[in-house]
Order: sequence, then C-alpha cells, then structure tokens
Amino acid sequence: MIEVQHLTKRFVGRTAVDDVSFEVGKGEVVGFLGPNGAGKSTTMRMLTGYLPATMGTARVAGHDVFSDSIRARREIGYMPESVPLYDEMRVVEYLNFRAALKGLRGRAVKENVGRVMDLTGLKDVQRKIVASLSKGYRQRLGLADALVHRPRLLILDEPTNGLDPNQIRQVRSLIAQLSTEHTILISTHILTEVEMVCRRVIIIHRGKIRADDTPENLARSSRSAGMLTVEMKAPAEEATEALQGLAGIRRATAVPSAANGGWQQFEVKLDTGADPREEIAELTRGRGWPLRELRANQATLEDVFVEITQRD
Amino acid sequence: MRTFFILLIKELRSFFLSPVAWVVLAMFMAICGLSFSWSINILREKPQDQSIVQWTFVPVWFWLYYPFLFPLITMRLFAEEQKLGTLESLLTAPVRTWQVMLAKYFSAVIFYVVLWLPVLAYFGILTWILRGKVEIPQGALVGSYLILFITGLFHLALGSLASALTKNQIIAAILGFAFILLHFLIGVFVMQQAQDHQEFRPIMDYVAIKGHIESFASGLLDTRPMVYYTSGTLFILMLTHQVLEYRRWKS
Repeated sequence: MIEVQHLTKRFVGRTAVDDVSFEVGKGEVVGFLGPNGAGKSTTMRMLTGYLPATMGTARVAGHDVFSDSIRARREIGYMPESVPLYDEMRVVEYLNFRAALKGLRGRAVKENVGRVMDLTGLKDVQRKIVASLSKGYRQRLGLADALVHRPRLLILDEPTNGLDPNQIRQVRSLIAQLSTEHTILISTHILTEVEMVCRRVIIIHRGKIRADDTPENLARSSRSAGMLTVEMKAPAEEATEALQGLAGIRRATAVPSAANGGWQQFEVKLDTGADPREEIAELTRGRGWPLRELRANQATLEDVFVEITQRD
Repeated sequence: MRTFFILLIKELRSFFLSPVAWVVLAMFMAICGLSFSWSINILREKPQDQSIVQWTFVPVWFWLYYPFLFPLITMRLFAEEQKLGTLESLLTAPVRTWQVMLAKYFSAVIFYVVLWLPVLAYFGILTWILRGKVEIPQGALVGSYLILFITGLFHLALGSLASALTKNQIIAAILGFAFILLHFLIGVFVMQQAQDHQEFRPIMDYVAIKGHIESFASGLLDTRPMVYYTSGTLFILMLTHQVLEYRRWKS
C-alpha cells in the first residue's frame, strides 16, 4: 500500500527526513514513532502529497504521490496533527463539503457522511457549529473527515493528542475497529497505544529510520530484556559471586542503594535464551538466604524507544 | 470544474457568514448612497459639464474609500487558511492548488460585484422616479461598471497575492493596500509627467487608473486599459499560485 524509497526532505539549514525507505502492506497497522522533530509529520506530509520531497520516491496504492498526486490522494484519508477545521461551519455541513471535495456525489455523500457520523459518534452534535465543539469532538470530526470517502489508507498524525484518558480509549477502540478495513499509518507519542493497536512499529529519529519490527521483537531486542531482578537477605559480595557461578548468568550486580535492613537487590544479566530462575531459587534455599523477589524484567516499547532516541 | 464549484460555493458561504463582509457591505452602501445623493444635489444646484454618472464614480472622495475596499475583501482569503492550518487539509484532499486559488479569487470577485449592485439600483430608482424627465447616460453607466469591474479584477488579484504572502490578516490588508496605493500613485505620477513630456503619454494610457475611470465614466471605452488590467490580473494570479506553492513547500 505504501512504498517509500530513499525519501529525503531538506529545509534550509536542516535535513528533516534523511534517506528513508520502508513499505507498508495492505491491511497493516503501523505505528510511526519518534520524538518531537524526528521527521514523522514531514514524512506523513510527503506521503499525502502536501510536501514535495527533495529526493526519493513514495507511492500509495501504486500511485506516485508526487507525479500522480491527485490519484494517490484519493486513496488516502489524512488527519493532520492540529486537526484544522472550518470553525464557522456546522458539523454535518463540514462533512458534506469534505465528502464532495473528495469526489463523492449525490446520495453517496449523504450515506457516507451518515456512516462516519455513526462510527465516530458525531450524530448528536451534527447541527453544532464546529467552533463550539470540545477538543474530543474536534478530534472525532477530523477522523470522520479522514474516513468519509472510504480511503484504503489512513494516515493519522497524533490522533489522540490532547484528549483525556476516556477519549483516548474511545479513539483507540475506534482505530482498532478501523484496522479491519483500512491500512493505517499512525503517529503518536503514547507508546502503550501503539503496543495495543499496531502490529508493526517504525521508529524514526533525526530523520532516519532506527527500528522497524513488531512491538514484541523490538522489546526482545532491548538492552533491558534478558535481565532478572533478585532481592534476598544475603551478603552482597558473596551473593554476587555465587550468582555469577550459576550457568546462564553473564553478570550479576548488587544495587547499592537498594540495600535495606539486610535485604539486597541484584540485577542479573542473562545469556541469550537462558532462564536460571529455578537455579537461583535453589541457591538461596541451599545457602539459607531468604528470597523476597525473583522477577524477569519485561522490556517495553518505551524502553526500546528511550534506548534508540537517547543513543546519540 | 466540479471541484472548483464546490470550493467556490464554500468560499461564498464563508464570505457571507463572516461579519466583516456584512460590515463592508453596509458601509459601502452607505458611502455610495451618500455619494449618489451628493451628485444629485450638485446637479440640482446648477448645470454641470459632467453627468450624474461621472459625479457618482469620479469625485475626489471616491478615491478615499475605493482603495480600502479590496484589502478588506481579500485579507482573509489565504492568510486565514494558512494561520488555521486548513490549507493543509484542503491541499491533501484530491484538489489542485490552482483550483483553491481560483475559487477563493472568484468568491472575492462575486462579493465585489454584489457590492456594486445597489448603486445600479440607485440609478434604476432615479430613472423610475423621474420617468423620462432626465435621461441617465447609458454609455457612461456601462463604461463605469466595465472599468470598475476590470480594475476590480486587478485589485482583487493584488489583494489575493498579499493574502498569500502572510499568515496574518492585518499584515495582508496593509500589504494589499500598499500594492494598490503604489499602483495608483504610479498612475498619478505618470499622468503628471505626461502633461509636460509627450513620451509619457503612451504609458499613461496603460497605467493611469484615475485616467481610465474618468474616461470610461464619460462613456469612452478604450481597449488598452482592458488589455492592461486583464493581463496584469492573470500575471498576479500566476504569481499568487507560485507563492502558495512555495509556502506549501517550505512549510
């Protein structure tokens, strides 16, 4: 659905997107992550044909977004980050206008506007002036606009930006619902959202793609994966030595600040694929060291994100 | 073409939903009404060389409100869209930049034409009241409306260009006014020079807007200003298109 090859965008004095290449298949839901200024919005704007690229190509549904822009844009439903709307219009008028602009005619306008208002919960406010809508409803209207012409690809730039937790949950469930019908490229700062909604994650930093995999694989590749936390009442040096003597343990470190009333915490780095938790439990029982915690650390997407974006 | 009309209708709705449009319309009607009644009073006092049409469209006070009209109409056209970010959602729909530009420009043209319709009604009412006692010079009326329309196209294009250059409506208005004033002053300068220097005469025939309105209001239709304003309008609209593309590319 999306084919991006060596896409580059240079502004005066800086390169916002630097030789980016990736593909998104039909039906995929891809999270596009990166810190502020990483190049996410610029990439999305190029995909929607709004910004021309300095170099490289981008195709949407087989259409070049630069040379065959109008056809490419017909396949895209785009929701920009700031959700710009015409404040003087009524909700239903705005959607009618957008539907007609996107090529729908006559009865198709009415049907599709009704459909997206049902889908996004805008029916109750359809006669309201856009200026009077709350942030949550504005966000829904932006989403309804992106959906109204049944695009094959949805590009959503920070769709939950500025929403309260309940609204975030609503938008998230809506995106999950949409993922059955559309290919979705979604940019967000909320990583839990990506873990819940996206089956693939692309992390962009300083204009370059730094990671591209499933959230699970990325978490597995994190430095904090393959670690154990052990807390027991034991002398630090002796316990460290004993732990390092066990098979599958690469390194054990006592955490000094965690020493409290004789309780000592250890961080244990494991060899790839090793799980020596039973041996550790056996060791503490044999040495008579009371064991309070033995936990395998689960790396999160947040860990991966922080590692990648703070690496340089 | 369909996309153009969808955008044009939307723009016209936006125009007539904006309070500024109604304030401009009301003020303009009041000024034109006053101008018209002064013209009648002047003609009632003693016989004049100039017709009622000339007194309505060519008096000195005409230049006190005419140049302000265009920035008020055009200032929001692109500046507001750029400020609110709606230009992004507009140009990521299957719409071309020139369609957006022309729809906005023609909505301003339609509003401008609507502004002048009441004055036409004043002449109609006067003719009806006098019922053949006084004849309104039809040629002068047609000429006046023609030149107002053609110069209007040109000035609205200048205002559109100013609005495309900035995100701020006030700056767009000031810039638009500056462009129009500059064009007017160049015309006045050339007219003054032409009195002493013959070589300025051909230039004057093209650029002196004051002279154009005066000659058209007397019923004299000259094709040179028509060509000048039409080609100028097209050139400025092309420039506006390029400015919009440039601003989009560097956003």
